[in-house]
Amino acid sequence: MVANTKEVIDQDICVTRSSADEKREWSYKDELCVGCGICADICPVDAIELEPIGGIVRTGAEKSKISIDENKCVLCGMCSVGCPADALDLKIDDKSIKEMDSYPKLIKSAEIDDETCVFCKACETACPREAITIARSLPDRSKLVTGEIEIDKETCIDCGICEEMCPADAIIMEHHVPTSVDPTVSADIKVDKDKCVYCLICKKSCPVDAIKAVCRTCSYGDYDLNPEDAEIEGSSFIDEDLCVNCGWCQEICPVDAATVKKAFKGTLTIDQDTCTTCGACVDICPCDVLSFPKPAESGQIVEKVFKDEKYCIYCGACEKVCPVDAIDVERTDVDYTPTKSNSWKNKMESLKS
Amino acid sequence: MPKHIVSGLKYLTAVELIRQGLSQKEVAKILEMDRSTVSHYLNGRNLSWNSIEVAEIITKFCPKDFLTLTYALLNDSEKTRIIVKTCLKENYQAKVEETCIGCGLCADTCLMNAIVLDDLKAQIDSNWCCGCLMCRDVCPTNSIKILEVEDGC
Repeated sequence: MVANTKEVIDQDICVTRSSADEKREWSYKDELCVGCGICADICPVDAIELEPIGGIVRTGAEKSKISIDENKCVLCGMCSVGCPADALDLKIDDKSIKEMDSYPKLIKSAEIDDETCVFCKACETACPREAITIARSLPDRSKLVTGEIEIDKETCIDCGICEEMCPADAIIMEHHVPTSVDPTVSADIKVDKDKCVYCLICKKSCPVDAIKAVCRTCSYGDYDLNPEDAEIEGSSFIDEDLCVNCGWCQEICPVDAATVKKAFKGTLTIDQDTCTTCGACVDICPCDVLSFPKPAESGQIVEKVFKDEKYCIYCGACEKVCPVDAIDVERTDVDYTPTKSNSWKNKMESLKS
Repeated sequence: MPKHIVSGLKYLTAVELIRQGLSQKEVAKILEMDRSTVSHYLNGRNLSWNSIEVAEIITKFCPKDFLTLTYALLNDSEKTRIIVKTCLKENYQAKVEETCIGCGLCADTCLMNAIVLDDLKAQIDSNWCCGCLMCRDVCPTNSIKILEVEDGC
């Protein structure tokens, strides 16, 4: 008889079924799981159960957010197709069903156009899943300014005022204690021209007028500068495993370089009267949609839980975790690639609530 | 003893295949035997009648028992499916309902190699179906129907 085997490594789970003709391997990555329970809802044989996710998320317990009965699982792959976070996968003969055209797939994506991107890193900072990395190389500061600076070492009294005042740390002195052989307090004073921005603070603060400096950037100096030297180069990277297509990057991008396509459309309703402000939903939300509002002034009455639905992916994790059923997530539209199988079509449609 | 029963089953298969018009050479190739052994079989030599009687009883078992016992005796799926299909008197018509989810459990279970998946749906080759119902029993969505059909239908 065909039997399944289950392997558990830390919180990750793997179920396999091998026959002479094919090998099926179902895998679960706990790190990527958002605890929405869509897998348990979509499973045609009730093999998956959602564990007490509230407790797991809030205590950081080392426990899988779902459990699977390997004796019930038939390795059909429906759970992996429904998973909005790519925490589940089914491989048939080492090929993921997400790469097979016969299987439907949720249509979701997140992209950053490097041509438009100014590498400001706003998306990297905002991404609730830490899925974005922006790498950038900045131009040399010295190539963005032009001027001249010279210190008359004969006049200089080695007071160190210019060194202390310099906002760019461009002046370096070689301080030492005077001796009878060398009765000075500094052996040398240098200007690092890669750092100097010709702000002229040193010149203005020198008590003995030993510094001659001029900034040419503001007058005709722009002609001395090559605009290409001011260009910022960089590249963006989105970790597709971590990304849940919440749309934070798209909303926060100042130059519209990020484009996000969500698989689900719907509504998120919070019953403020029933809510006990336990915060489980705020903790579990993978998209930072929910937060506790702070009153602008004392005594002001605010909502118990604030939502910004722009970022919602309608995964339903908050609804599942809420202990008092104060949250209702309705999915009105599910976008998926076509399939010839009616049973799969019906299952995908069943994701609409 | 199992060896003798296997010989009996091969004998019955050889006789039936010859009756269907195959040559001794073709039969020898299908059953992976020497041509001379096939010839001996057909002339009633080198085989005990008791082995044939036991084999005949096995072919009259319900299809699942016939199939699983034959597979256990031969441990060779290709020869098993030929012997079972050739000696089986009944014909079956397999139908897969739209509720099939394409999990492939039936294909993995089928000892007759009669099932393949196509566009997330099992396709059962009725010509090779032996009516053992093992696929129907493992199907998680009750999507498989197997009917016994009269000859010529």
